Amino acid sequence: MPNIAGPDGPVELDDKGYLKNVADWSPALAPLLAARDGVRDLTADHWAIINVLRDHHREHGVQPMIRELCRRTGFNLKRIYELFPKGPAQDACRVAGLPRPDSCV
Amino acid sequence: MADSGTLDAKIEALTDDDLARGLDLFRSKLGAAGAVWLQTCVHCGLCAESCHYFLTDHEPQSIPAHKLEQVAAAFRGRYTLAGRLAPALTGARPFDRQLVRAWVDAAFGRCSTCGRCSLNCTTGVNVPAVMRAARATLTEMGLIPADLQQVVTTALETGNNMGITREDWLDTVQWIEEETQGAVGDPAARIPVDRQGAQYLFTVNPREPKFFPLGLQASATVFHAAGADWTVASEGWDLTNYGLFSGNNAEGGAIARNLLGSMERLGCRTLVIGECGHGFAAARWESAEWLRQRPGFRIMSFLELMDDWFRQGRLKADPSRITDRVTLHDPCNTVRQGGISEPQRDILRRCVTDFVEMTPNRAENFCCGGGGGQLAMAQYRDKRLQAGGVKAEQIRATGARIVVAPCHNCIDQLMELNREYKLGVVIKTVAEIVADALVLPTATPPAEGNHDVAS
Repeated sequence: MPNIAGPDGPVELDDKGYLKNVADWSPALAPLLAARDGVRDLTADHWAIINVLRDHHREHGVQPMIRELCRRTGFNLKRIYELFPKGPAQDACRVAGLPRPDSCV
Repeated sequence: MADSGTLDAKIEALTDDDLARGLDLFRSKLGAAGAVWLQTCVHCGLCAESCHYFLTDHEPQSIPAHKLEQVAAAFRGRYTLAGRLAPALTGARPFDRQLVRAWVDAAFGRCSTCGRCSLNCTTGVNVPAVMRAARATLTEMGLIPADLQQVVTTALETGNNMGITREDWLDTVQWIEEETQGAVGDPAARIPVDRQGAQYLFTVNPREPKFFPLGLQASATVFHAAGADWTVASEGWDLTNYGLFSGNNAEGGAIARNLLGSMERLGCRTLVIGECGHGFAAARWESAEWLRQRPGFRIMSFLELMDDWFRQGRLKADPSRITDRVTLHDPCNTVRQGGISEPQRDILRRCVTDFVEMTPNRAENFCCGGGGGQLAMAQYRDKRLQAGGVKAEQIRATGARIVVAPCHNCIDQLMELNREYKLGVVIKTVAEIVADALVLPTATPPAEGNHDVAS
């Protein structure tokens, strides 16, 4: 199982790079997770997405529809994919410390 | 994983009655042809190197003939005279807990029901059909991995396999309509919902509205460019059908009825299955069988429709826009088991300048490793990624930058393989390539109505 060096010691990831334990997430960990996905700098726009993902997951227990993500951040699709090139289900959820979405079939 | 723990506990708790009934169940699901297939394996071993599981793990349990034998041994012991009289000589085995475990491992854990072994079988054993009967039996005994059954259950309960609400679906469709209109610069580029009597009812994989709406936008762009009379449905829009993977024909039929219901409600003439291998196989080939009912309309793949439109001159592409090398993945359920192999190739030749085939390809192509519901079963994840190694090396050998896969399920697996095997490729649907290469009709059409005329 891969680990990364977090601010407070090693953090366990699953084999897809999602946090094994969702409670391990912290704002300081996000840039380290992002770097693994090739996202170098987390800008305010990245954080807007991360915050919406986390808020929605806390409120509803599931990842938001991408429509909801666009609406609440005010970004269009193109911008979302510029910020997280592999898409909201993969990079963004990983960086935001959300569990892996149920298999997308 | 917790799930395999639960499965183990359930197997431990099986009574002798459960086991006897299970085998009877299996017999009832097998059919006459299936009973013959169980007797016809000649153990030639040709299937071994046809299977992506064996090619990557080299374990005897991954040889298709071995998987078949686990199932056949139980059948022989009960239902053949020789097996009853001389079990040791015929390799017959009692259907006990140990054998049940071997069934679960063979049918769910080491088989994506891709059918490549059957194509390479000297005696024509339909291994996926036998594995599906075994899965059906295990499912009815409550021994299906819980996460795979959950996909079926969600589809039965909510009408789609990701539990997307009607509001969220309609909201997303409207939004993608606006995005499409903006992208093509034409307010006539609509995504009609519930248009009565439309020629084409287009169906999608829930993965698109939930996470990957660019695929839906690409499809809408293509429908617009072709000037097609089409619609999506407000309900009964999900083309997936995991009943194909659980083996439960009643549940598969109930899910299939969602699509048939939309067709009847809207009076459309052609059911168009978006880019999804198992969804196409389930709707086009299996659902009539499950429902014991012939559909009164045409069912076609979006690939066939786009190819028809190119041939008729309704779509035009400029291949010079896509000069990166492109290769094509053949989803098992679309190509080997679905019979659709050339339309996607004709389309790509019109849309890109450097198209190279994988080796082997078409009906002989290897499974991506994510078929048969493997992507939904967390406990077999490592095995699935290992088995996908064959596909990863096929892709790497082409030197392609873009991998086109007309199947959302395959795309999920290919995205994981891309990461796992560091392939550095971009993965797209056929419609996404078409949308990128399309020469759109003039942005100011003479009359909006032109786009709604039935062809």
